[in-house]
Amino acid sequence: MTPLVTLAHLAALLLLPVPMVGVINRTKALWAGRKGPRLLQGFSDLRRLLRKRPVYSAVTTGLFAAGPLVLLATTLVSGLLAPLLGGFAPLSFPYDFVVFAYLWGLGRIFLMISALDTGSSFEGMGASREATYAALLEPALFLAFGTLAAATGTTSFAGLLDVGFGSPAQAVTSLGTLLTLFIVLQVETARVPVDDPATHLELTMVHEVMVLDHSGPDLAAVQYASAMKLTLCAALIAGLLNPVRAAGAPALAVAVNLVLTFGVAVAVGFVESLVARLKLKVIPQYVLVGGVSAAVALLATAWMQGGSR
Amino acid sequence: MTLILAGALVLLLGAALVLALRDNHQRAWAAIASQSVATVLVLARVLPVLLGGGDFRRSAAWSYPVDLIAVHLDPLGAFFLAWSLPMTLLGTVYAFGYLRPWFKTRNAGVQFALLNVTSLSFVMIYTLESAFAFLLGWEIAAVAAWLLVVWDYRNQKVRFAGFNYLVSTHIGLFFLLAAFMVMHSQTGSMDFQQFEAFLRVPSSLRDVTFVLLVTAFGLKSAFFPFHTWLPRAHAAAPAHVSALMSGVIHKAGLFGLLRFTLLLGTPDAWMGWYVIGFSALSALMGALYTTSQRDLKRLLGYSSTENVGIAGIGFGVGYLGLAWHQPALVALGFTGGILHLLNHAFFKCLLFYAAGAVYRSTHSVDLERLGGLARRMPWTAGLFLLGGLAISGLPPFNGFISEFLIYGGLVNEAAPAGIERGTFIAAAALLAFVGGVSALAMTRAFGLVFLGTARDPAVHCDGEVTAWMRLPMLAHAAGLLALGLLPGLGLALVDRPVRLFLAGASGAGPAATLEAARLLDPVQRVALLLLLVLAALFLLRRWLLRGAPAPRHVTWGCGYVGATPRMQYTGASFSAQFAGVFSTVLQQRRRERLPSGPFPGAGDLLQTQSIDVVEHRMLEAIGDGDNLVVRLARRIPVEPRFSLAAGLVVVVVVVGMLVTGAGGGR
Repeated sequence: MTPLVTLAHLAALLLLPVPMVGVINRTKALWAGRKGPRLLQGFSDLRRLLRKRPVYSAVTTGLFAAGPLVLLATTLVSGLLAPLLGGFAPLSFPYDFVVFAYLWGLGRIFLMISALDTGSSFEGMGASREATYAALLEPALFLAFGTLAAATGTTSFAGLLDVGFGSPAQAVTSLGTLLTLFIVLQVETARVPVDDPATHLELTMVHEVMVLDHSGPDLAAVQYASAMKLTLCAALIAGLLNPVRAAGAPALAVAVNLVLTFGVAVAVGFVESLVARLKLKVIPQYVLVGGVSAAVALLATAWMQGGSR
Repeated sequence: MTLILAGALVLLLGAALVLALRDNHQRAWAAIASQSVATVLVLARVLPVLLGGGDFRRSAAWSYPVDLIAVHLDPLGAFFLAWSLPMTLLGTVYAFGYLRPWFKTRNAGVQFALLNVTSLSFVMIYTLESAFAFLLGWEIAAVAAWLLVVWDYRNQKVRFAGFNYLVSTHIGLFFLLAAFMVMHSQTGSMDFQQFEAFLRVPSSLRDVTFVLLVTAFGLKSAFFPFHTWLPRAHAAAPAHVSALMSGVIHKAGLFGLLRFTLLLGTPDAWMGWYVIGFSALSALMGALYTTSQRDLKRLLGYSSTENVGIAGIGFGVGYLGLAWHQPALVALGFTGGILHLLNHAFFKCLLFYAAGAVYRSTHSVDLERLGGLARRMPWTAGLFLLGGLAISGLPPFNGFISEFLIYGGLVNEAAPAGIERGTFIAAAALLAFVGGVSALAMTRAFGLVFLGTARDPAVHCDGEVTAWMRLPMLAHAAGLLALGLLPGLGLALVDRPVRLFLAGASGAGPAATLEAARLLDPVQRVALLLLLVLAALFLLRRWLLRGAPAPRHVTWGCGYVGATPRMQYTGASFSAQFAGVFSTVLQQRRRERLPSGPFPGAGDLLQTQSIDVVEHRMLEAIGDGDNLVVRLARRIPVEPRFSLAAGLVVVVVVVGMLVTGAGGGR
């Protein structure tokens, strides 16, 4: 059973990112009254990039090419820690969520370094913004994970998301951390209202501006890793919402989780169609909203457990 | 004991020999040789204790002021000795390369002799257990560090930084003296073992002593808000001195805290919260200040405050574990904290040595003037990056291992549910924030110094530094990698010291000592997996790019072709948005004469300088405190906000007095 599930997890990790981005784009296209690209258009884009020869700036060092590779490697390994299909992860151990968050940190720092390697002021700008938002986002993520750990009494990802909506306090905990994770998704993977993946005005971009000089397979690695991060965040949110427990009906739980994951993608598309981008100055406050909602969840959990003492 | 005494004698004779010799090369060799011999002698005695356990005491009576010289070697002292001496030796090797340009013109003998004396003071502090002798070692370390800092004594700023350090460290000494006097008055002895009888029994005097001790040791280790001397001293000192002060010498403060923790027996819960709060504040403020520094060594100095804070959070968790009788917390907190000290010594020395290499090669550590050094100094760049990644606590490097254990202590079922666990989780979030901020600071520092192109044409890079300076860096990098990829190694080193603390925890079975190893085992596997995946992706990329080499072109500038190196992103702009969010502590002093009119003249400028608000406010309060109070008081009748606040304070005080008075009357 376990090897089979592991294989399914790996397949989902490698294949899901592309249709996830496809679903977001299709949602946005339908809202705008367009037909939109194919759901699997991303595969063609990646294949095109992989066949291209990259061009490097004369200023760059070896670190420039290492950045995308480290980003993709850390994202892949972190994908093995997260319960992508609900309640199960191939690598599961106590405090795996700490490793998960820090792996993302490692990938991020290498992307920033490869951006700074070009000596471009635009890319410095992007790296600076990314570093600022990441620093503000990190505590929100840990508050959310820590709250879930306290609420469920487990310390590994697989059991972390089983809070449910049984009591009012649990509902507050679930909703608070859910909002946090949604904001994490938007910041980490550069979605509206934090960043607009469709814009091409360098002055206002965050993520995309850091990879202005990347091309060919390097750019493919960055885009694929970003889509994979999106999928992982969406799967975590789906796990929080999933009412079916893996222990009872594994197949059903996986199916519901997948549907919910795509549901999150639709929600991201909705937000992108209906909400305008925030001003850059306001984004730190938006990121802090994530921290505050996780803090509310933490207070609810502490109150619930303190009361039962 | 004979071996350690012999080691101390060799160090002392070595120092005398260094001063007696005539040639700087001979002096350096004498220092390196005598320290090597002493290190071997001391390690031969210390390593068996560290790895196998043991507890050795000797004491000798002396006449009045000394009273007694008690020598005590236990795994805790052995742990500190085991890396302090070799690292000082590496620092001496580095100094050989770093000071060489001055060899023709100046007498470097004092520096080398003082490095010997520093090693000697470690032997004294970590093995002596009677107050007078301990303080003697403490003072030798402080004065030696001061003399090492003022190497460039002709520079007024350096002298000022030196005196600032000397005054601060002696304020710490007064607190320590006060604590020793309290304990002496209660026990009539100068021996730490006798202090134990007083410290084990809860009393209000014990609480006072505890606060005095934490203040004294906190000052030594540059905890916030006692850190103000540190960035100055680190920026002024030669690189090997900054490295040794930050990485090794100041660990004596945390050693003192741990030594007296062992004597405390079971601490009260408030002591644990006090240590956690104090440390969390240090970690936070230290990290925030690292983001906006212009001077690379100043930046690294603030990061010391941050890292002792992180280690202190671990100690606080251990304290609370002792108070709550939770062996798991004791094991995780103290293992994480003590391991972080060692890790910090490795990466902080490495970073300071790399900063020193930059200085040696370019004569500048100003982030805004450097740039593009990675191509000229590939070794230094790679090693600095390694240290920067480790100090940001990222896997698979050693900083992550200790922080992971501290997270394990903070997000733990063993903490009582409710407020306590909630506070622990908030502390974990703070630790995560500190990690993120430190990643920002290190990316900024590395990116500005080593990447892009040179920002100031006036700065010339002389290329890579000599092997004498690279060798100590490589040694530290090797240690950093070993501790990161083989966590078992670090655990073996801290196992015996942690057991001393576990012995004080009730109900600690053999399982508690294995707790850390159990948690770290999968982490190591993930690290190896990460390296494998990375290697596979690297091969895949090479296969995809087979054939013609990739063409080179200019950096994309949105079509603008007249770009100059001055248009690169600067350090101030990199941290501007972050500093804006935390503007209350990250204040900037601006000097500006902005261009105006259709034909702006020459001489327009905009200068920003980040200042240490705490130091600023402290001096303001000392020098101008009465005026501040008067000005505040004047605003009370004028501004409704202030009137309301003052009224509320009066109400709270009156109600509080009534309530407590009523309680006392019963």
